[in-house]
Amino acid sequence: MNRMTNRLPAIALLLVLVLTIWGLVSPAHAKVDFLSDEVYDEAAASRVADPIEPVNRVFFTVNDKVYLWVIEPVATGYSKVMPADIRTCISNFFYNLGEPVRSVNCLLQGRFRDAGRTLGRFALNSVFGVFGLADTAANEFHLPPVYASLGQTFSVWGIGDGLYLVVPLLGPSTLRDFTGTVGDGIAQSTYTPWNDDGLTTAGVQGGRTVNRTSLHLGEYEEIKSLSFDPYIAFRNGYFQMRSKQYNNSGATK
Amino acid sequence: MVLLVGVVMLLPRPAAAAVPDPTEQFRPFLDKVTETLADPGLKSLSKPEQSRRIIGVVRERFDFREMSRRVIGQQWRNLSEQEQNNFEALFTQLLQYAYVGKIDEYSGQQVQFTQQRIRGDRAEVQTLLVDKNRSIPVSYIMLLRDDQWMAYDVIVEGVSLIRNYMEQFSEILRKDGYPGLVRQIEEKITQLEQEIKKN
Repeated sequence: MNRMTNRLPAIALLLVLVLTIWGLVSPAHAKVDFLSDEVYDEAAASRVADPIEPVNRVFFTVNDKVYLWVIEPVATGYSKVMPADIRTCISNFFYNLGEPVRSVNCLLQGRFRDAGRTLGRFALNSVFGVFGLADTAANEFHLPPVYASLGQTFSVWGIGDGLYLVVPLLGPSTLRDFTGTVGDGIAQSTYTPWNDDGLTTAGVQGGRTVNRTSLHLGEYEEIKSLSFDPYIAFRNGYFQMRSKQYNNSGATK
Repeated sequence: MVLLVGVVMLLPRPAAAAVPDPTEQFRPFLDKVTETLADPGLKSLSKPEQSRRIIGVVRERFDFREMSRRVIGQQWRNLSEQEQNNFEALFTQLLQYAYVGKIDEYSGQQVQFTQQRIRGDRAEVQTLLVDKNRSIPVSYIMLLRDDQWMAYDVIVEGVSLIRNYMEQFSEILRKDGYPGLVRQIEEKITQLEQEIKKN
């Protein structure tokens, strides 16, 4: 045990080193402007490497089945007994819990106003929004949500994506962004009360997933039915959507 | 007075004055789309007839030729005129079937115009589709043809329809060539057609 603890800094150092090397290999994120024809260039369409595509495709299929056979039916049943208003409140509650982590990420990215804004949102919504059930900050105080994540922080620091990953149960990500998601999760677990045992954590995360899905029923199936290769359609959609999140927060140079 | 007119004429004409306003052109068009969707008479028609009527309205401000050209990418130039026409018809039909399912879902959602950007002969009109529980950002990318702004891409929550299809099509073109792509689109249309009949 003690030896393991001693090794932790070395492991962390190695991880940073690996990420940095990847960062040098793959270019950092570029801003997308739809008015220029360059965004429609085929070469630019898929910038992130997908060297483990066969493995990713397997996990894509696994996730697809888990969604269609488990999550979607549960979410459909849940949406029938739980009114949409309450489901939105639950979704707000979870989002609000992430605000302190978002605020720290803003600081790490040098976005000081956004850091203040997310903290302000957290305070307002926790008090006037009753533990974050309502987004009072956006509705009454004109403080709309701000996007920030550790993956984005890494991107601002010049670390590249590395490679595309389809994570079991989580879906599309990249090596860098998944590292960020894990980091954000660990940070949030330091102040949320349900991380004492694995079962409770899994239960809360599962509940959150079902609640989120219940607000987007049918969307996944629709996109899938309109696509020729769902794997590519969702990979492309992930990068396009992420690019908007990163750009809108003004973090990209 | 003459002097004043002279001065006014000497002033450089603002560049924007020559270019029609994209939002001004797009607003009546989107109104017409939502009116057509809300028309109770539409629901009494058969599904294929419904989609034909909608696509007829959409054609007024969407340039399906430009969409087809972009979605194929560099290979477009290698296609014969007839192949290009054929592809345009096929891609239009694909979009037609893709969105006929949306007709039933329409329940009076409103469109808010938020912003526009113009650069040269390109423009982006940003809107919000306001639904009961949330609003979805939808952008239209347009090209100025004579004095008409024509849309060639739709961006929903940051995802461009054309770029998404483009990446899928380029993979098919690489593996199976143009005939393979045509075959796959035809299959998709048949599949969507059958799904519509089932409902």
